[in-house]
Amino acid sequence: MKRAFLVTFLVLVSTFLLGATKEIVFWHSYSTTSGEYELLTKDIIPTFEKSHPGIKVTEVQVPSDEMRRRLIVSTAAAQYPDVMRMDIIWVPQFADIGVLMPVDKEFAQEFAKLKDTFLPGPLSTNYWKGNYYGLPLDTNTRILLWNKKLFQAAGLKQPPTTMDEFIKDIKLLTKDNNKDGQIDQWGFADNGFGPWNTIPWIYSFGGKILDDTNSKALGYVNSTQSVEALKTFKDLYQQGYIAPIGGGGIGTLEGYAEGVYAMIFEGPWAWSIIKGQYPDAEINFALVPAGKGGSKSVVGGEDIVLFKSTKYKAEAWEFAKYMTSKEVQLKFAGVGQMPVLKGLLNEPVIKNHPFFGIYLQQLETAVARSPHPAWNEINDIMDSAWQNSVVGGIDPKKALDDAATQIEKLLTKYK
Amino acid sequence: MTRTKKKKMIGFLFVLPGLVSYFAWTLYPIVKSFIMSLYDWTINPNLPNIFVGLDNYAELFKDPKFYMALKNTILYTIVTVPGQLILGFLVAVLLNRKAKGQTVFRLLYYLPVVTSWVIVSILFQYLFSARGGLVNFLLKDVLHIISKDVAWMSSPKTAMIPIYTLGIWKGIGWSMLIFLAGLQGIPKEYYEAASLDGANGWQQMIKITLPLIVPTLIFQLVMLTIGGFNVFLSVYVMTGGGPMGSTEVLSSYMFKQAFDYFHFGYGAAISVIFFIIVFTVSQLQRKLFSKRNA
Repeated sequence: MKRAFLVTFLVLVSTFLLGATKEIVFWHSYSTTSGEYELLTKDIIPTFEKSHPGIKVTEVQVPSDEMRRRLIVSTAAAQYPDVMRMDIIWVPQFADIGVLMPVDKEFAQEFAKLKDTFLPGPLSTNYWKGNYYGLPLDTNTRILLWNKKLFQAAGLKQPPTTMDEFIKDIKLLTKDNNKDGQIDQWGFADNGFGPWNTIPWIYSFGGKILDDTNSKALGYVNSTQSVEALKTFKDLYQQGYIAPIGGGGIGTLEGYAEGVYAMIFEGPWAWSIIKGQYPDAEINFALVPAGKGGSKSVVGGEDIVLFKSTKYKAEAWEFAKYMTSKEVQLKFAGVGQMPVLKGLLNEPVIKNHPFFGIYLQQLETAVARSPHPAWNEINDIMDSAWQNSVVGGIDPKKALDDAATQIEKLLTKYK
Repeated sequence: MTRTKKKKMIGFLFVLPGLVSYFAWTLYPIVKSFIMSLYDWTINPNLPNIFVGLDNYAELFKDPKFYMALKNTILYTIVTVPGQLILGFLVAVLLNRKAKGQTVFRLLYYLPVVTSWVIVSILFQYLFSARGGLVNFLLKDVLHIISKDVAWMSSPKTAMIPIYTLGIWKGIGWSMLIFLAGLQGIPKEYYEAASLDGANGWQQMIKITLPLIVPTLIFQLVMLTIGGFNVFLSVYVMTGGGPMGSTEVLSSYMFKQAFDYFHFGYGAAISVIFFIIVFTVSQLQRKLFSKRNA
C-alpha cells in the first residue's frame, strides 16, 4: 500500500515537472549526416538545455528540398514550429503573410544591442517594411576562384583585382589548346543568369537592382552602370570568352578543377566538393574584382526566425540569441558553417581556416538579394532579362528597361 | 426497414468509400480552386482574403507567359501522344507474337513507366548534356548528322526536345501494355479464317487488327491527352521552365505562381482554365470517336 502510494506520488510529480518544461520546436534542414547536425544535437542543444533548465529544444530535421512545401502546408493549417532556420530569401515572403514575429519590436532593447554585432549583408536579409523578422544565423558568398597553372601558362602572376584586369585576363585565358578550331579553355564560367550569379557583376560595376529602401526599380535595374555590367558580360559571352551557360556542359567546379575554366565565382562549399572529387586540385581564392562600385558579391545563407504563434516567446528568443552567440557561431565554424558576426577574423578557427578569412572579408561588403516578398518574381524577371540579352541578343538597355518596368509594376502591389 | 431499402442501404455503403474520396479529393479541390481564383488569396488562415472578382482571369488573359505555357503544353501533347501511340503499338505487335524472351522484353519496355519521373529526368539531363552527353556523341561522332555539340537545354529552339523524348520514352510501356491487352482480345479465329482466304500479314493487320483495336486506341488517346496536359515533373527538374520561359508548361507555371510567388489566387485561376481545357478536349474526343465507332 505504502509502495503504491509512493509510485503514484512520483508519477504525479514527474508529470508536473514535465508540464513545467517549456518545449520549443526548432525546424532546420541540416543534413542528418553532416557535421553541423552532429554538433547541433550532441553539443549545441544539450548545452543550451543545461544552462536553461526548464526549456526543452526539440529539433525537427526537414530535408531542404521538402522544407518549403512543408512550411506552406503548415501555414495553411496554422501549425507552426516556434523557431526555424530559414533560407534568407523566404524571410520577407513569410513576414509579408504575417507568420513571423518582428523581433526588433518584441525585444527592442536587446535587438538594438545585438544589431551592430552582425555583418550588414546577412542582417539586411531579415528586414521588411520597417521591421526585422529574425537574426542572421549562417552565411556565405561567392568569391573568385582562379587557376594558378593556367594563369602562369598565360604569363600572368596575380589574380585580377580590378574589373579592367579581370576582363583582360578573361580574354587572355580563353584558348583553343588542341587547335581543332573549337575553344577548349575559357577565361570565365558560371552556371546561370540569375542575380545569384550576376550580382557580383552588377554591383561591382556600380549598378543596382532595387534602391536602398527596396521600393524602387526604375533607374536602378536599368541604371547606366547596371546596363554597362550586362553589356560587358554579353560582349564577352558572345565573343566566346565566357563558357556557354546551361545545357549541361561540364560543371563549373569540375571545369575549374580540370583546368577547362580559368576563373569562376563560387561559394565556400566549392572547397569540399572539389577536394572530394579531385584531392590534388589546387584551389586559389581572391576577392571579386573591384569596379566602379567596389568589390561586391552576393549574400547567401540562413536566418533564425520566430513564429508569431509561439507560446514561449521569451524562451524561443533565448534560443535564437544563443544560436547567434559568438560561442555557438565559432563552434559551427569548426564544422564548416560560416559565421555571421563581425570581428571574427582573428579568431583561431577563422585564422587557421584555409578560406573562411577571405570569404568573411568579401562578406563585409557583400550585398543581399533585395529582401522583398516578391524577390522570387524579381529574380525570374532579372534572369530572363539577362538571358534575353546575353543569349537572345536583345540590346542590354532595352532588356533592362523592360525588366525595370515589370519589377516596378510588381512593387506597387506591395506598397 | 423493407428488404429493398436494406439492399439499397448496403449498396450505398459499398460505394461510400469511393464517394467520400471523390468528394474530398476531386470535387472539393475543384470547387475550392474556383473560389480561390476569385480572391487575392493568402495562405495564412488568420489573414483576410480579398475578393477581386474576375481580376485574376483578366490579368491571366493578358499574360504572355500564360500563352507561352499554353502553347508549350499543347505542343507537348500533340508531339508525345502520337509518339507514344505509334511506338507503343509497334512494340505491342512485336511482343504479341510467340517468341523467346517475350516476358523479359515486356518487363523491359514497361520498366520506364514505373521509374520515378525525377530520376529519369536527371538521367535525361545527362543524356542531353552539351559536353559528353550520349545524344551529342551519337549524333556527332557516330552518325555524323551534326558537326558541333548541341547545347540542347540552353537554347529555346531545342529545349523542348529532351522533354518530348522523355515523355515518349516513358509512355511507350504503358501504351504497349494496353495495346497488348487489346490485341489479345482479338479472337484467333479471325486470323485463321483470313489466312485460309489467302490474306497476307499486312492485309490482316489493316483489315482485322486495326479496326478491332480502335476502342483501345480511343481509351488511350483520352488518357494520354490528359496525361500530356499534366506534364510537370520533367519540366520542373530538367529546365525549370527555362531558358527564357521556352519550356514553361501550364502546370509548372501554375506551381510557380502559387508556391514560388505566393499568388495563390492567380495560380488557382490558371488551374481552373487548365481544368476547362482538359475537360472539353476529353469530352470532345469521347463524343467524336464514340459516334464514329457506333
